[in-house]
Amino acid sequence: MSADFVLYCILNTAVVVLISPLFVSLVKKVKAWTQGRQGPSVFQTYYTLAKLLRKETIYSPHASWVSRVAPVACMAAILTASLFVPLVWVTEPYGGIGNIILFLYLLVVARFFMALLGLDAGSAFGGMGSSREMSVSAVIEPTTIVVFAALAFVFKTLNIFDMMAAAVSAGTLKTPILILLAISLFIILIVETSRIPVDNPETHLELTMIHEGMILEQSGKNLALMELSAAIKQTLLMALLINLIVPWGIATTLSAAAILAALVIFLVKGCVLSLVIGTFESSMAKMRFFRLPGLFMMAFFFSTLIVIIEVFA
Amino acid sequence: MIELLFFLILALFTLGTVVPLAGAKGDRRSIRVFSLACTGAASALLAAFALLVIIPGTTFALPLWQPFPGISLDLYVDRLGAFFLLLIGTVAACTAVYSSGYTEHMEGGNRRNILCGGTALFVLAMTLVVASHNTFSFLFFWELMAAVSFILVMYEYRDPGTTKAGIYYFVMTQLSTLFVMLGVIALFVLTGSFAMAPLAITPASAPLATAAFLALFFGFAIKAGIIPFHKWLFFAHPASPSPVSALMSGVMLKVAVYGLLRFILDVFSPDLWWGVLILVFGIASAVLGVIYAFKDHDIKGLLAYSSIENVGIIFTGIGLFVIFSCEGLTLLATISLLAALFHSLNHALFKSLLFLTAGSVVHATGTRDIEKMGGLAKNMPYTSVLFFTGAIAIAALPPLNGFASELLLYIAFFHSVTVVDPLLKVLLFICLALFALTSALSAACFVKAFSSVFLAQPRSDAATGAHEVSRSMLAGPAVLAAACVLLGVFACQIFIAAGYVIPFPDLLLVSILLLFMAGLTYLVLYFTASREARISETWGCGTKSQSAITEYTGHGFSEPIVTIFASVYRTKKSSTKTYSDKYNCLFGGGTAEIRLVAFFEEYIYRPIGTAAMKGATIVARMQNGCLDTYLLYVFIAVIGVIVFLGVMA
Repeated sequence: MSADFVLYCILNTAVVVLISPLFVSLVKKVKAWTQGRQGPSVFQTYYTLAKLLRKETIYSPHASWVSRVAPVACMAAILTASLFVPLVWVTEPYGGIGNIILFLYLLVVARFFMALLGLDAGSAFGGMGSSREMSVSAVIEPTTIVVFAALAFVFKTLNIFDMMAAAVSAGTLKTPILILLAISLFIILIVETSRIPVDNPETHLELTMIHEGMILEQSGKNLALMELSAAIKQTLLMALLINLIVPWGIATTLSAAAILAALVIFLVKGCVLSLVIGTFESSMAKMRFFRLPGLFMMAFFFSTLIVIIEVFA
Repeated sequence: MIELLFFLILALFTLGTVVPLAGAKGDRRSIRVFSLACTGAASALLAAFALLVIIPGTTFALPLWQPFPGISLDLYVDRLGAFFLLLIGTVAACTAVYSSGYTEHMEGGNRRNILCGGTALFVLAMTLVVASHNTFSFLFFWELMAAVSFILVMYEYRDPGTTKAGIYYFVMTQLSTLFVMLGVIALFVLTGSFAMAPLAITPASAPLATAAFLALFFGFAIKAGIIPFHKWLFFAHPASPSPVSALMSGVMLKVAVYGLLRFILDVFSPDLWWGVLILVFGIASAVLGVIYAFKDHDIKGLLAYSSIENVGIIFTGIGLFVIFSCEGLTLLATISLLAALFHSLNHALFKSLLFLTAGSVVHATGTRDIEKMGGLAKNMPYTSVLFFTGAIAIAALPPLNGFASELLLYIAFFHSVTVVDPLLKVLLFICLALFALTSALSAACFVKAFSSVFLAQPRSDAATGAHEVSRSMLAGPAVLAAACVLLGVFACQIFIAAGYVIPFPDLLLVSILLLFMAGLTYLVLYFTASREARISETWGCGTKSQSAITEYTGHGFSEPIVTIFASVYRTKKSSTKTYSDKYNCLFGGGTAEIRLVAFFEEYIYRPIGTAAMKGATIVARMQNGCLDTYLLYVFIAVIGVIVFLGVMA
């Protein structure tokens, strides 16, 4: 393992952990604006996390070892996955880090533990959340894989690092197909981060809750871990979209100036995408749960169409 | 030296079979333990023997017995055979250790001796099938394996469920043997020998070669539980004792996979459409298998359906291998074949692990219904961890072995755009999407299985009073669990050691990173977060304490998927309502029912069964038991032969 790669790991992890809460609050802020409210500060998520860390942790008397292990396991999986998506600096991949399938499955690991966590305390809310989360993720999976396969085909590699490096060096958009893929990636982003129209992150109502239902029993540091890992996951999927479709500004060499510039550019692009997500959420109504497969089918056919166009072209 | 080892293995298996059967009258523990010790030792030696063949890459041949010229029982082990022997040996050794505890808790008195002896013979038969050098001995041991496994399935012969399972199993397994026999005969007609040698004739020039392949394919598909020939699996696995289920699901299905691979690799030179056929059957079994597994609430039935899914994945790999070989893409063909082989081994390990731990759970709670379990993680902590390992392996989560083999398939699929034929490309893309669906549903399915059995509160008295099982029932599965972890973490290193240079991510690095990140998280929390923790009721919508009635059950968990895939499940929802006033406002009472239509049973198996019965009735009419009638038949036959010969001349 080269020194560059170790440095990359430290830098990428630090950036993703520090930036993620900002994007979460920003989306909330945008949604508040569209509703005519002032909304919480953009640093509110940081305050919340700090507060949660100071609180005591409560375990249900029915909870088993899963409740003790799952939050840390979830966080570990998401942090490992975060190494697969370069945010500001693309270096040479090492030992298969950056493999897009492995990245997807690390997210599945986190989801698996989260679903078990929801069921561990034995409340109906958690179970409902877990059941819906696993169902939704199962139905969206074919779309995700087809989109990833399309990306792999466009960039002729399975590695996210190489994809981004190719996107940066191309200068312009590699192919117009990418614009179409961006739409599919956006749908995946919305589904994976449990946003309207799939889920409503604002409420704990039975009608809407998927993600929030699963973590309802959590408290203190465990809740902080779950919140932060959800935020990081969102940033990773955003970065995948941003850095592949509008790659300009990513640092390819190791220099403080380039990385600092890349960081600022990434922040700006991330903020713009957060604005888009917030506006998108505000302009939509939550879909009925059993209407969701229809939406996913749409996304699926859309992505398959792109692939077939590309294949036959 | 290596011959001696093999003879020792055969002797130990024979000893394990003969001793309990000879002492069948006496219900003595020592006899059973001796038999299982023989089986365990022989299996462990078998695994060692397999490694001795695999690592240097040698072959091993042993003529066993020649009853007639041209017909002989010969043994021959090459790298492919040794790989499957390794699989058989590892799983059988762990199962034997587990059985030594399990059989003592079983009902049945001295029938348990037969179970132990039968297990030894069963493992021996599977070993010899894989080690067969010619098609004759292959068929011979194949039938021995089928017969012994039937006896093992029928262990609880008084149970009506077992009787039904037995009938299904017997018919299907004989059908499988019939097809394999037809294939072997067709090959004999083509080549004039029983040798498993490359066929000089290409399938295009000889339709008989194609027919031979199809017969063999269907024979192996029935044995492997490929949909629509899968029904026996779902009945037989839950009905048989857990170690037998583990052996059948973990190992016997793989023997069918071995058969298919052996004939494809060594005998035929396949056509492209053969690959497509195998691929389509494989992917259909994978998707439907996991969809059916998802709704099943019998823990062993769920695992049986999941076996169908995994065999489907293995067949998908084989299909891809054939397709890529025909297209001339050597690297992708190697990756696909490797995926099929590796998944065979992995599935053998984690499925037998799951069946054995499920057996422990069934033993502790006295039921197979997961709705009556719950909360066992507290009473059976070790079993829960072992089952959990199996669950994350089968759900294909990195860095365990299930993921490693599915990743190989994904890599093959992702590169399939290099295939020239556009139609084939589209087919492969559809299969890729279905494969992704399979994998995600399997994760959901095992969240359900694990949580319904082990998490939350116990939903029955039996589950409340459950206790941890004995040490031997933990030791066997523990070895399998360790193997699952090691094969996953060191997958990349194993491929390199075996001489395959393929673009595969280093899962060891990923595991280290995962552990490092977990450690980092823990340390950061340890120093920054409050360490106070309290055990108290969490939010339950205002109720003071939660009861087990309000828990989310397996049925509830699977409801969204059942609704989304209603067209696959063929659910029929019906409800009736009565009202207590004439304006239909006050709801008086009613019924609601969701019925799952057993599609294959009602639309395929029953009609065929009914038709067979009708045919049998017609034939039975001719058999009236009267001597005169039979003399008449003989007379007619003689006249017929004379006329025939006259016409021919």
